[in-house]
Amino acid sequence: MTQMETPKVVKKKLFSPIWLLPLVAIILGFWLGIKSIREAGIEVRIHFPSATGIDVGKTLVRYRGLTVGKVVDIGIDDELQGVNVDLKMDYRADPFLNEQTKFWLVTPKASITGVEGLDALFSGNYIAIQPGGGQSQFFFEAETDAPAMLPGSDGLVIELTADTLGSLNVGSQIFYRQIPVGKIISYHLEGSRQILLSAFIKTQYTHLVKTDSQFWNVSGLHINASLSGIEIKAESLSSILAGGLSFSSADGSKRAENGHSYRIYDSQALAQGGIEFTLTATQSNAASTGTAIVFRGINIGRITDTHLTDTGVEFTAKIDKEYAQLLSSTSHFWLEGADISLSGIKHAERLITGSIINFSPGSGEPKQQYPLLEIAPDQDAQSKLLLSLTAENNPGIGIGAEVRYKQLAIGKVNSVHLNQALTGVEYQIEIWPEFTNLVNTNSYFIPESALSIQVSLEGISVKTRDLSTLTKGAISLIQGSSRTVAKNHAQLALFLSTDAADDYFDRLNQFTLSLMSTDGAGLSSGSPVYYQKMQIGQVDKVNWNSTNENFDINISIRDQFKPLVKTNSVFWRNSAITVNASLSGIEIDVAPIQGALKGSITLGLLDDEDIGSQTHLYESKSLALAQAKPIKLTFPADVKLAAKAPIRYLGHKVGAVERVTLNKDLISVSIDAYLYGSYAQHFTQEDAEYFLVDAQISLAGIRAPETLITGPYIGVKPGVSTQMRTQFIGKVTPVIQAKKDWLQFTLEDTNLGSIKVGTPIVFRGIIIGAIDAYQLADTGNSVQMFAHIKGEYRHLVNQTSQFWDLSGIKIDVGFFSGAKIETGSLESILAGGVGVVTERQTMTSNMLTSDASFTLHKKLEAKWLTWAPVQLSQK
Amino acid sequence: MTSPAEPPRKNQGKDLGLTLCPSCQQLMAHKKTHCSRCGSTLAFRDYSSLQKSWALLITAAILLIPANIYPITIFTSQGQTRHDTIFTGITHLIDLDILPIAVILFTASILVPILKIGGLTIYLLAISFRLPISKKSLMVGFHVIEWIGRWSMLDLFVISITAAVVNMGQLLDAKPGPAATAFALVILLTQVAAKVLDTRLLWDRLESKDDTNGNTKSS
Repeated sequence: MTQMETPKVVKKKLFSPIWLLPLVAIILGFWLGIKSIREAGIEVRIHFPSATGIDVGKTLVRYRGLTVGKVVDIGIDDELQGVNVDLKMDYRADPFLNEQTKFWLVTPKASITGVEGLDALFSGNYIAIQPGGGQSQFFFEAETDAPAMLPGSDGLVIELTADTLGSLNVGSQIFYRQIPVGKIISYHLEGSRQILLSAFIKTQYTHLVKTDSQFWNVSGLHINASLSGIEIKAESLSSILAGGLSFSSADGSKRAENGHSYRIYDSQALAQGGIEFTLTATQSNAASTGTAIVFRGINIGRITDTHLTDTGVEFTAKIDKEYAQLLSSTSHFWLEGADISLSGIKHAERLITGSIINFSPGSGEPKQQYPLLEIAPDQDAQSKLLLSLTAENNPGIGIGAEVRYKQLAIGKVNSVHLNQALTGVEYQIEIWPEFTNLVNTNSYFIPESALSIQVSLEGISVKTRDLSTLTKGAISLIQGSSRTVAKNHAQLALFLSTDAADDYFDRLNQFTLSLMSTDGAGLSSGSPVYYQKMQIGQVDKVNWNSTNENFDINISIRDQFKPLVKTNSVFWRNSAITVNASLSGIEIDVAPIQGALKGSITLGLLDDEDIGSQTHLYESKSLALAQAKPIKLTFPADVKLAAKAPIRYLGHKVGAVERVTLNKDLISVSIDAYLYGSYAQHFTQEDAEYFLVDAQISLAGIRAPETLITGPYIGVKPGVSTQMRTQFIGKVTPVIQAKKDWLQFTLEDTNLGSIKVGTPIVFRGIIIGAIDAYQLADTGNSVQMFAHIKGEYRHLVNQTSQFWDLSGIKIDVGFFSGAKIETGSLESILAGGVGVVTERQTMTSNMLTSDASFTLHKKLEAKWLTWAPVQLSQK
Repeated sequence: MTSPAEPPRKNQGKDLGLTLCPSCQQLMAHKKTHCSRCGSTLAFRDYSSLQKSWALLITAAILLIPANIYPITIFTSQGQTRHDTIFTGITHLIDLDILPIAVILFTASILVPILKIGGLTIYLLAISFRLPISKKSLMVGFHVIEWIGRWSMLDLFVISITAAVVNMGQLLDAKPGPAATAFALVILLTQVAAKVLDTRLLWDRLESKDDTNGNTKSS
């Protein structure tokens, strides 16, 4: 079977689909044409000051790296002030071409901070465009520099202010933890004082900039040389050479807005955030910007600014945030520098780094302003023990001297000054809190001697202390036995030595006596008081007592010797050496050497029944033991009495002159003398008489010849009055010490002739009496001579007696009678004499009365020689 | 089915009722629609090819305009960028006194495409409108166009080589411009236009020059 193929009827196509191709081409062509017309570009004219670096056809206009136009022509402007550059801008640039659009030329710039526009090296300089708003416009004035804001860069533009530009420049980088995060894009002077810099922070880092960020200059190298080494810090090479800024931010703060303003600090230290406040001082001595504020050796802040005020200097200071809570209303700030002393250099590094400001926290709310103190405040005044020490004089303790205990410093001396009465030195010292318990109520202090040399028979010991003791001195605490801790402001003593302290405390166990002495006796405070050559006390003070014109000598005697001071105690002054030479031998008594040097006093005891004076200091042992009683005599100034001259009664020594002083009137001398105790009462009656006994050499002989050797002495005549006294007026002429059995009478003559005191009265050639004294009679017409007849001869003289002058040789030469020479004894020839002859026997009736007076005849009558009554001795 | 009355003295395949498979060149009876060997669609004469050729030719002619207006190369030398159209390129070469290259470039880039398009237009016109052109000159022209057509790719070849080799950024760089694409399309389209044309139509035309060419319709 054959199958018939059905014929395929193919309808002839009128148009092949291939015709779409030319259609497409036409459409494409049209489109291309329209597009090319549309995209033909926009003609823009820009006025540049110079066409340097701009080439026609070569210089492109770029926006964000995209070529948006091209220089098509350059022509000089009409005023010949610049060039007009014609640009053919991409049609897409149309929206950019507005009033505020900016054009500037980018040239390759290789600077330290980086190479900018390096692309321009190959592509040639290009014109950058920064779109702006406003009306559409086709003529522009070119910018001379890239505008502050980087075109098209999203980021943060902030303002920074600084006093000086330093090494910052446009392009200087801004670092955050040493990562460059931005750069300075412009700067200009704001007013005449401040420089305003604009900085750009890249988008990805904008969150790092906070409202309270701190910017500081990291330009160059920071070399921190201290004793701990040299630290060199630099942010980056570019910051060394081209400057740079770094900043830090707190975590929690708000992010900064565009245009936020910051201050540039000189260094990180200054910039670090913190609490700002001011310190005031009168002068900016050691503090300056950058001076650290230190608390317990840790830098907690610094001074960020210094400026003058009317009254002084004001520092702006900052304390780091983490230490901000330390600041309080009672905080103190004070300057502290290096401390150079012989004890060493403290804080030597401050010699180089300068002073620091020390800080002490306090309590309360922080203040805005604090005074900057010159010296450290008394920080822990509360816990310190303040004491005041008194001393008689300053053993070289200066302010700042250490107070030591067991050679360990426990405090220091704060001040040294005289006390108010100017009698001693007062120290204010402080004991550091940890040692306050060492000081108790009877503690005392002694100065440390830097060099103490002790020479004894055992050898020489030399002790030295450290050098600071030598210069500033130091005092040591000697603890007392008391268990009571000393209170604040307690008054304690500073003794010059341990011995002095011992003395002082000894004295507390002493009782005092006051001795009276006519002189200072060479004693001084500290002179020892001995008993049997053992020291039992010492002299405290020697004072002049004006009321009784004596010296008061205060002595103290240790309590244990109190029994020695009783009614029969006496005190005398020791002579350094007493030599007692007699035929029985020589006794030399040497006082203890200390007493010899300083003078000393000895306590002695009299016999038990004797009563001694405990208020008088005797000149010598003998005086004391003799219980000498002082008297005062006044003599004419011409007496030649000297100390030690004896007072004698009938040749017996009953006292001695202690001292002879010429009175101020120059006509008299005062004589201090002693009467030996046992005799004193006999010679201190009101009517007792003292007189000078001096050697009298005459033809009649020498009276009181012993005085030729011993010097004149004082004679005394006891009185009978019951009234006692101690002051006497002395006489120059010896007082007649009439014996009881003496027959006393008066002779009268017109002329004294050769009669002298002592002229003998001769009876038959035997001296029976003498002239005791003579005087001019009150009437002035005769001379009265007082005479006496010794007791055993008194019966030889009565009212019938006749007296004549025997003196000399009587030569009677008569023309007729011849020569007659009549002499008495040789003595009477030399010394004169008074002859006496009695007519009758002495009877009771014709006995002489006490006021009997005779005329002294010139010569013997012949008849008198015949008188020879038998006298009966009355014995 | 039997074919209609056939002219006896015809020596063409169609006269003999035979046709050639365009793919495998098997001689087949033209009544068959598909080649018995390779299964290709058989056509006695492809009259649509004339339309296709025309369309392609017109497209090429249109594209010749942008190919000459737009820059064919973007040449950057030391930051300076030159946008050269074909013509400005040639004038540039002339300016540089490289005349032989300018001649070659002119021939390859301007002369040849225009000649080719012009030549093809003439042929198509000759086929479509039976223009009285001598058979011999048509044959010569056809061979010339065919031979010369391949040289017009020279320009593109140079551009592509240059673009590949000279690539030193801002220092020295050459890139094909938008005209290159158009130019390439012109060349391609003229080639395709020449290729797609069923040349048998031309031969028919040349054959029927002597006698009547009344057989224009066939299935």
